[in-house]
Amino acid sequence: MRLLPGPLRRKNGNDKADGNGTDGNGRNGGNGNPDIPGALLVSRERDEAIVNGENGQGAKEQKALQRERIKEAATEVPATAIGWVDERTGLGPFARGFMFRKTPKGTNWFYTLGSASMFAFLSQAVTGVFLAMYYRPSADEAYTSIQHINNEVFAGELVRGMHRWGATVMVVLVFLHMGRTFFFGAYKYPRELNWIIGVVLVLLTLMMALTGYLLPFDQRSFWATVVAVNINASGPVIGPYLADFLRGGAEFGATTISRFYALHMLLVPGLIAALIGAHLYLVAKLGTTAPPWLKAEKKRDLAKEEI
Amino acid sequence: MPGAFEGETVTRRGLMTGGALAAGGIASAAFALPALGFALGPIFNNEEVNDEWQDVGAESDFNEQTYVAKVGTLVTNVGESGKTTVYIRKATPEDRSPSDKKGAKIMPYVAISTRCAHLGCPVRYVQASEKFICPCHGGVYGKDGSVDGGPPVRPLDRFYTKAERGRVYIGKRFSLNSKLERFPHPRDPSNHLDGLWEYLYPGRPST
Amino acid sequence: MNAREKEQYLREYHVLKGQGKPFFPYAVAKDSMMAVFVLFVIILMAALFGAELGPKADPTTTTYTPRPEWYFFFLFELLRVVKPPELVFLATIGIPTFCLVLLLLLPFIDRNPERHPLKRPIATLTGIAVILAMGYLTIEGALAGAPTEIELSTQPQYEAGRSVAASSGCLGCHRIGHNGNAGPGPELTEIGERLRAPAIRRTLLNPTAPMPSYRGLSEKNPQQFDELVQYLATLR
Repeated sequence: MRLLPGPLRRKNGNDKADGNGTDGNGRNGGNGNPDIPGALLVSRERDEAIVNGENGQGAKEQKALQRERIKEAATEVPATAIGWVDERTGLGPFARGFMFRKTPKGTNWFYTLGSASMFAFLSQAVTGVFLAMYYRPSADEAYTSIQHINNEVFAGELVRGMHRWGATVMVVLVFLHMGRTFFFGAYKYPRELNWIIGVVLVLLTLMMALTGYLLPFDQRSFWATVVAVNINASGPVIGPYLADFLRGGAEFGATTISRFYALHMLLVPGLIAALIGAHLYLVAKLGTTAPPWLKAEKKRDLAKEEI
Repeated sequence: MPGAFEGETVTRRGLMTGGALAAGGIASAAFALPALGFALGPIFNNEEVNDEWQDVGAESDFNEQTYVAKVGTLVTNVGESGKTTVYIRKATPEDRSPSDKKGAKIMPYVAISTRCAHLGCPVRYVQASEKFICPCHGGVYGKDGSVDGGPPVRPLDRFYTKAERGRVYIGKRFSLNSKLERFPHPRDPSNHLDGLWEYLYPGRPST
Repeated sequence: MNAREKEQYLREYHVLKGQGKPFFPYAVAKDSMMAVFVLFVIILMAALFGAELGPKADPTTTTYTPRPEWYFFFLFELLRVVKPPELVFLATIGIPTFCLVLLLLLPFIDRNPERHPLKRPIATLTGIAVILAMGYLTIEGALAGAPTEIELSTQPQYEAGRSVAASSGCLGCHRIGHNGNAGPGPELTEIGERLRAPAIRRTLLNPTAPMPSYRGLSEKNPQQFDELVQYLATLR
């Protein structure tokens, strides 16, 4: 229990050393030295008494105690470092709230789909950054730069393959996550806003797939993009103007790839990152739902209260 | 208002608030409007489209019975990505369009664009059945480019043609409605042009 | 959900949450294992299948068959299925936008406080129906082939006839196997059962409009015309 540094210590954890009525930060209210967490102070005095054999402890207890003291010493440096940051940013309560919040009874493997989607997005982001170091977004050079990545760059084909298959994996995970949320009824009160943010995220994911698809500029990319832009053009009145905006003109021209590249690299990932942040905040704040087949066992007085 | 002079209408607070909002608005507009113009610019200019006459071959290359495929340039500054295939056939008197004024000469050649009028896939001409077939969603056109079946919404676009000194030239692309009337501003695929539809899909400055 | 139902839910949730385990380390452990699994799958697929790069983009092609990525196949098949030209804008943007709006506003459309799938039959059945429909459209989209190829197993002596059929534009209006279009002509996958060779020959020479006549082929290249008729007669 003493392994956790002061600011991250659980508020109502099972810390036996907190015998002196510490507050939430593990600090002793009446401690003369505010830098040293009160719990550590108390235990140190007790340990020294034991080590010095004052309480008549045997060799075994002394060895165990020495191990604990080494552990304490080892965690003291990171504890001080984290304490330093916490004192200057006030992030302790936030980090504690996020890491040690309770997930309801019955949380199972279905609930990992959300973070798996985010992980797939991070994988795409990282592989995307490496691809962007070699890719040239122009109609003449795009294809040859991709060939260069495939053939000459170290691990180029692997990174490009990871990016391409990562897109498939991300779409699959996002849809599975959406399905899980739907069937568990996790879009109902009070999580309606979270669902809306999630649907916008699905849409942005498909937009990433669409804009990224053009960048290798092979036959499949070109024609799939032509059809996608013309689908936009089919809307009455504003459709053709929207298609002009996407294409950068009436025909597929010099700036079309640049536009799609800017969308794919800058605008849409930025929106996705911001919305993932909002989505996670709501998840931490509202809590994840319990599986719908679990019913809370109501205490008898609670049931009486309801009637 | 308490503490106001005779005839005072705006408080100091109101003035400062309004002034701050106005200054903020001007600052935002100063960087947002040019950026917006930058992004929306291509909607309003048509410099990209190639509007010069292109030489596509000698008159003897073409005949009245079947289509010959030639390559033309739609956009000049992108190299190969700006080219397109055009199917060209020598015109017969049946190719007179309702847009041709009585007694006027008809265009000497029929130059049909390979851009499907449904969603833009590349159509191919099949000699045996004399039809244009689209590989994507099932569109089929007859010999003059009008729709025989499937989802395409209007006949295939054509190019203006002329013949000079034994050479054939193609010009800009134009669209047609089902009656084969000409619309000089070409529309995007999926844009209908029959009846009232032509007002839902008007000609754009970028074409 | 009225105020009473909301309160009841929050109370129940509070109880269930109290009986749960802290996010760190229990859920984090599961999430980490799943993340490792996802990474493993991505790397495995990248190593096994590589990153294919087709031929360079060529706007002048007349032989290429455009197709989207697999996760857009359901939209692609929707565009193939909706044939009347007046309904094209419905298939391109009408139906997808409508479904998206429904999805977005789902928490406001579905006001049933029940969460258990068996206690909300409408929602559960609708969800399953949508998933099955999207799956069906995706599979059909994946199988839709080019209109210049016939992908049916053929005995070697009829291979020549099959290639004549594939290159004569029949698939523009007929379905043969999974390839081709479902209209305006009837499906020909089992035409050999309905018509014998002489009847097929007559139809090719003297068809009902808008089917074009193949008399030209029979005069210019009678051998190919015969091969075509013989091949069609074997389609059972």
